[in-house]
Amino acid sequence: MEAKIYNSTPKPPSGDRIKLNVGGKLFETTLSTLRSGGAGSLLDALSNRPINDSNPVFIDRDPEIFSVLLSLLRSNRLPSTYRRFTSQELFDEAAYYGIESQLKSAMLPSQLSGIDASVVSTIRPASDGVVSSFSVSDDDDGSVWVGHGGQISVYDWNLAHIGTVRTHLDFITSIRRVMPEIAAIGSEIDSGVHFYSFANGRRVGSVEWSDSSDPRIYKARVNAVTDSDESVFASFDCQHRENCVLEIDKSSLKVVSEIGRQNGNSSKSVVPGKLTYLSELSLIFGSSISSGAFGYSGYVRLWDVRSGKVVWETNEPGSGRSSRYGDSFADVDVDKFELNLFKVCSKSGDLAIADLRKLSDDPWLYIKDKNPSLSNVGGGVSSVIHCYKKQAFVGRDGGLEVWSRVEEQGGSSVCEEESYRRNFVDKVEDSERGIIKKIEGGGNRLFVSRDNVEGIEVWQSSNFSGSVSLL
Amino acid sequence: MAPIIASRLPANGSKSKQADSSSSNIFTIDVGGQLFQTTKQTLTQSGPDSILSKVCNTSDASVPFIDRDPELFSILLSLLRTGNLPSKAKAFDLQDLVFEAKFYGIEKLLVNSQSNPDQFEPFNLEKALILNLSGRDSPSSICTTPYGSVHVAHGSKITSFDWSLQRKSTILTQFTAVDSLLSLSPVVVAAGATDFSGLQILDLDQGFLKETLYWENVTRSSSTVQSIGASPDFLFTSFESGRRNSSAIMVYDLNGDFRPVIEIGHCEIFGADLDSAIPATKLSWVPSYNLLMASGSHSGPHGVLGNIKFWDIRSGNVVWELKEKVDCFADVTVMDNLSAIFKVGVNSGEVFFSDMRNIGAEKSWECLGDSQKPINGKKEGLGCKIKSHGNQVFCSKGGDLEMWSEVMVGSLRKNGTDAEERMFRKNLMGRAKDVGGSKITNLDFGGNKMFVTRKDQQFVEVWQSSVRGY
Repeated sequence: MEAKIYNSTPKPPSGDRIKLNVGGKLFETTLSTLRSGGAGSLLDALSNRPINDSNPVFIDRDPEIFSVLLSLLRSNRLPSTYRRFTSQELFDEAAYYGIESQLKSAMLPSQLSGIDASVVSTIRPASDGVVSSFSVSDDDDGSVWVGHGGQISVYDWNLAHIGTVRTHLDFITSIRRVMPEIAAIGSEIDSGVHFYSFANGRRVGSVEWSDSSDPRIYKARVNAVTDSDESVFASFDCQHRENCVLEIDKSSLKVVSEIGRQNGNSSKSVVPGKLTYLSELSLIFGSSISSGAFGYSGYVRLWDVRSGKVVWETNEPGSGRSSRYGDSFADVDVDKFELNLFKVCSKSGDLAIADLRKLSDDPWLYIKDKNPSLSNVGGGVSSVIHCYKKQAFVGRDGGLEVWSRVEEQGGSSVCEEESYRRNFVDKVEDSERGIIKKIEGGGNRLFVSRDNVEGIEVWQSSNFSGSVSLL
Repeated sequence: MAPIIASRLPANGSKSKQADSSSSNIFTIDVGGQLFQTTKQTLTQSGPDSILSKVCNTSDASVPFIDRDPELFSILLSLLRTGNLPSKAKAFDLQDLVFEAKFYGIEKLLVNSQSNPDQFEPFNLEKALILNLSGRDSPSSICTTPYGSVHVAHGSKITSFDWSLQRKSTILTQFTAVDSLLSLSPVVVAAGATDFSGLQILDLDQGFLKETLYWENVTRSSSTVQSIGASPDFLFTSFESGRRNSSAIMVYDLNGDFRPVIEIGHCEIFGADLDSAIPATKLSWVPSYNLLMASGSHSGPHGVLGNIKFWDIRSGNVVWELKEKVDCFADVTVMDNLSAIFKVGVNSGEVFFSDMRNIGAEKSWECLGDSQKPINGKKEGLGCKIKSHGNQVFCSKGGDLEMWSEVMVGSLRKNGTDAEERMFRKNLMGRAKDVGGSKITNLDFGGNKMFVTRKDQQFVEVWQSSVRGY
């Protein structure tokens, strides 16, 4: 592509070329380079000037930042000199010239690969730094919505702080961005799901669970929130443990239907602590895990959104392979793009995978792991699991590991016991920072929060070797 | 790389159509608004496919314009003029220069100036860089390419660093750990493990498995890989059966889709004769003799036993064999330029040398270190690595690195009679702050660099002499 720019230039000696005087420094480039900034930008407007004017166009801005941005337009790549400026400076300047999208695409992190990731920064809210809940936007946006104490803070794709809103809740335990500007929040100590708009910092709506025929349904607290394109789903839990999932319409913020109401008397019927909407199947995935004197117990359930019926469920202990009895899952997650369930076993620490398209009584495929350096870890410790970009990230105590598939030339979709490899993402020093509480992926980054540790770690992959000079 | 330099085209310049301007050979070019003056000869250094050659071959009378950064161009123009980077290149990241050089099509010149094997200066190596690896696995094996890219196997992953050591990429393999790794091209490696069946040819760029090569053994069990070696035409792999009762060296054609050529050194263990079937754990090609050196050792009740065999791969016969009964090698290397074999004794931990010109002699090994050292059953040399590169032999002892060089003393008379005494002397490598550290597990050379990995350290050390420009 670059070659083309050159090839087109020498024929008309000056017609395609343009001189710019930025802050006293002369630059010369081609119209096509300026136009690559996109229609409507300042540079695009300059490129449409009448050509017969031979004086350079004067722009009263800093020439050094402009030279970085011009290099970006010329080669679609940021030169190393960009590190002299903060990302805020670069963005302000790019906004002036109207080329933010180019800058953004050059600064986005590369494809997240768990086997090659490192901590690049930590998001640290200024007050109430221990993050009680956070969620990352699924789409390319990759912004992070953080609930810490009673505040919601938002960080954009570049991890820059956008703003903070104080809510009426004292301790936010579930947060979900349900509309571009609106977050749904809930708390395990306060009732109801509440919608806060980030545009004006106000509460725009609230939903409580009520039942006219049952006065006990009162002051139900929210344990998990998720959303589809049209609806928000929140799991509500009453004082007497009766619970259900409410479907709330996004436009009216009113309850549409009640899914999976249950009495909460046993571990098979307590409120789901994790909800995910599977848009491809129109199913709601819900799971609940509780640990007691006899180990872990819990369930995984899939509800059909339209009928509100349970499509498939599994309870542990109680179902599955007898050889795995007593080894019930410590955490479970669903990969909503690949349609796989992943669970991590509480005792053995093994990972099992189930294909959502082929669910049965015992759909689990236990993945064999032969890595001798990992044989002594796992099992008996608190584990969390999260699926992102075809990889399963598991936090065990403080350690972060990834299970990734070995690529094969044909790209076969059949999953076998030995097609996954387990590797540590972190170093030993990293694992000493605290027990991993939550892992979430978004925008090719992995966000990790730890128990009673301020802030959220951000893990990224990079092509730069990051070699350290010793001279 | 060399043909680029050779492809000057002085004849073309004089036949140029611009007869009027041919008197002055000066060529003006406008890059990003700055004018540069140079000659066509300088620009054609970049090779026929580069943009710069195309620019100077256009018939247009006007000054050609290239829409790129002028400051980077000025550095690359210096590179074209002198073959070296100017010192002001330090103001930029090497990564920027690599990218810009790719645009102009002169990356080879940049590689030549920065990572040429001819620039390897053994007496001037210093610990210069640390290449960090992700995760918790420490490197199990490394391999290099002639121009200094390095591939590092750690756990089930292989991380590749490009020649500038600025970019890296990591792929996942089926192995739990890779024990043998050899680069066949900058992006293709052969990998094998002692606990995994088959030799895998991996494309590191795309991250997929190109081919798996198995050895069909009699017991029909798996075939694990003990070591890999290569000559310009062949790939050698030492296989052992999964039951560990037979072994062989397979020769594959490197230029013909890894077609098996010959199987040599096939051994089966029958009964208690363990000596007969020690698989080769090191394979190296000796170009000046056209022989393949295969060495293997075995630790048994009577101490460590081993053998070093030199194979003629055409006939499949052993030409020479050295049996190691006393103070067997811990590691062995051939130095082709000096016709010598070097080993570290597993018991003594000392370096020995043997002249290949009188290899059948009674006392084949000559101790270069303390020959009076009593052998008391200790294994002081265990895990020591020895590797020759250029005219030096590098030997690791624990965390330290020794370098042995031949000292030329006296007149160069050739009396044709008995070969005169050869003299080797050692140096401990590195400055005081670089000496010591964890035990060295791998040692390799590429470009003008030496790569070292250590036990339980998740990084690769790069030893380098200072390069012009950087």
